[in-house]
Amino acid sequence: MTDTLGTTDAAGPVRVRRRIPVRSPHQAAKTTSTSRLGGPFAGVPWALPALALVGVLLVYPFLRSIYGSFFEDNGFSSSFTGIDNYTRLAEDPIFGRSLLNTFMWVAGTLLLPVVAGLAIAVATHRMRRFGGLAQLVIVLPFAISGAATASLWRFMLTTDGAVNQVLRGVGLDSWAQGWLLEWPQNTISMIVASTWQATGLNVVLFAIGLRAIPRETIEAAELDGATGWRMFRHITLPQLRAVTVVVVGMAIVNSLKAFDMIWVLTQGGPSRSSETLALTMYREAFRLFHVGYGSAVALVLSVIVVASSWLYLRRQMPGAKD
Amino acid sequence: MSGRHPPIPPPTADPSTTTPLRTRFDRRTLLRASAAGAVATAAGGLATACGSAAGQGPGKVAIHGDNATWEAPLQAAGKALQSTAGLQLVPEVIPSLESFEQIVKSSLRTNKTPDLLKYWSGYRLRDLARTGGIEDLSEQWESAESRGWVDPSLREAFTYGGRVYGLPMNLAYWVIFYNPEVFAEHRLKKPETWDDFLTACTRLKDNGITPLHGTTAGRWPAFIWFQEILSRQDPQFYDDLMNGRERYTDPRAERALRTIAGFFDKNWFTSMDVDHNAAAAAVVHGDIGMVACGTWLGGVFAGAGAKPGKTVDAFVLPMADPAARPCVIFESSAFAVTVKGPDKEEALKAAGGWLHPEVATAFAHGLSDGSPNPKVTPANAVIEGVTRQSKDLWLLNRFWEQGPPELVESTVDDLAGMLIEPHSYRGGLRTMQERADEAWKVWREAEKS
Repeated sequence: MTDTLGTTDAAGPVRVRRRIPVRSPHQAAKTTSTSRLGGPFAGVPWALPALALVGVLLVYPFLRSIYGSFFEDNGFSSSFTGIDNYTRLAEDPIFGRSLLNTFMWVAGTLLLPVVAGLAIAVATHRMRRFGGLAQLVIVLPFAISGAATASLWRFMLTTDGAVNQVLRGVGLDSWAQGWLLEWPQNTISMIVASTWQATGLNVVLFAIGLRAIPRETIEAAELDGATGWRMFRHITLPQLRAVTVVVVGMAIVNSLKAFDMIWVLTQGGPSRSSETLALTMYREAFRLFHVGYGSAVALVLSVIVVASSWLYLRRQMPGAKD
Repeated sequence: MSGRHPPIPPPTADPSTTTPLRTRFDRRTLLRASAAGAVATAAGGLATACGSAAGQGPGKVAIHGDNATWEAPLQAAGKALQSTAGLQLVPEVIPSLESFEQIVKSSLRTNKTPDLLKYWSGYRLRDLARTGGIEDLSEQWESAESRGWVDPSLREAFTYGGRVYGLPMNLAYWVIFYNPEVFAEHRLKKPETWDDFLTACTRLKDNGITPLHGTTAGRWPAFIWFQEILSRQDPQFYDDLMNGRERYTDPRAERALRTIAGFFDKNWFTSMDVDHNAAAAAVVHGDIGMVACGTWLGGVFAGAGAKPGKTVDAFVLPMADPAARPCVIFESSAFAVTVKGPDKEEALKAAGGWLHPEVATAFAHGLSDGSPNPKVTPANAVIEGVTRQSKDLWLLNRFWEQGPPELVESTVDDLAGMLIEPHSYRGGLRTMQERADEAWKVWREAEKS
């Protein structure tokens, strides 16, 4: 065996250049990604289950619904009708009412649970003794399922229910009415019932936002003489911007998909007067077996949900304008 | 779910394998295992989803329905069927009308469909029959009829294209429930004429009792008073209208709704959001005078503590036009056999034995309702009285089972609108007729094809 390092001959000792493996972090990262993990597409297999799940459960049904909306389909037979389902939508008074109710839900949900959530969070933030307890009490309804909440509110809102009994009890007989029987009070009543449940989560989110406001900012504002409304308007509210974006975004989406509360309380009635787009879609597709027409309603609802969410987030999220 | 998984190949533990190679191999194995697991899960999910429609094994056959309160009566009937036909019925309840209908309609063309169905009669059964998904039971009907096990006048409600596609399970009459003690207290007797009925309403109202229960709660009950008043004013017109031979804009339909609007004007109705359970309890307590419903509501009255014949009784609403042929509205569910069910032979055998007096008695008594088999003794005093009263009456099927199902689904909403605004009936009837024109056109075209 030849000793390459220590061998000497007539020409003198051979100088072996010692190679010290040195890699820059950049090279290291490159080597790791190409040889150890198998190239730029190495992550694809890991994403496949998620992609497959989304593809099978979301993308395919969505595309299938769009395709189905061009057909007259009763569940057994179908025939191509082009955009007939969409022209029918434009003429259908039930769809018009449903669209109006949906916008009432969006407006109501933005107005009531968000404003109430913010007000309650601000009011209880500085309360030393009972603030946490008050927040807990307000958050509790959020832990109840939508269907159970609706059942509870049915006891309140029927003509012989608790609300009318209280009104009659305090001499306001003329205010007592069938809260769920006539439009628009049936939709408004259900928005109020939904507010009771949805406010809790908003309180939690705003409370977290309030706690994240640096103490120094508040103290500096106090030194500058800001108190009360001015403090809230110019210091607290701008600091809550990030949380508000989330709360309002969630409120928009939740109001557009409102279903369980309405289904349990009125089933969209009487006479389909309290239906939202989600209920109209369900009734047309699964009760009346107008599958194509129901698909058209579903597409309109999807477009409204996606467009409103996208427009809102594009406007509100920093750096997402392009 | 079976719990079976495809075998996962064990990793080949080669000691000479270098670390990177082992890593790649493990990853592949893991991916393979994940894929296999996903397939197994999906297959298992499908198996679970279809599990309810799987065969029941020898001597057993499943019947699917939408009503949880029918489970015990079906079990009682199943016991009787075991002794008469050697078959055990296994009730499977999907306690949601919507889900039940969707499952039936979507599974009927597959071999994962239930063997037996509790379905509606009339046009809903015809709608199902014309898909070719349910068996012709004419032979079973004729056999039962020849033995006197079924009322022949019910045949029309289970017939499509001259063939019978379902056997009657129950026979509920649509009646007016009332509290005899409350009536006696106000010197009222069981109404035998239309005037008696109006007198009862007037007197109850004068004594602070809301005479009539009306409701839109749950949607479907919106048709009740239209059905009751129209059939008592002109039963022939009711029958023709329900079968698409007359028009909703006819003055006779308008007269019925005008009568109902008149009742509203006199404040005879409850608010429209009182459901039947609450109404039954209110009749027992003397807060509401009368409730219109099928005799199946007797079970709810019993639950509310009513004593048949004492604190609850029922009568068939008298004819408003004494010259018209006396009638009563009935409701009967269909016992149907699917074509592609896994245990079809046993299901057909069960259909052959369904109307046997022992089976029919066990079912009717379990349900506390009327029976399509005239040999069955009435389940209680209320049913006995109504059955006696209805003996010679013209049996007309309920609004819900009359006309193309999608028309009925829409018109109940229109009728609900007219109960909320009683004097809007002219516009409402026009809308109903527009819907009827379209729905009947589609129905008749489908019948031709």
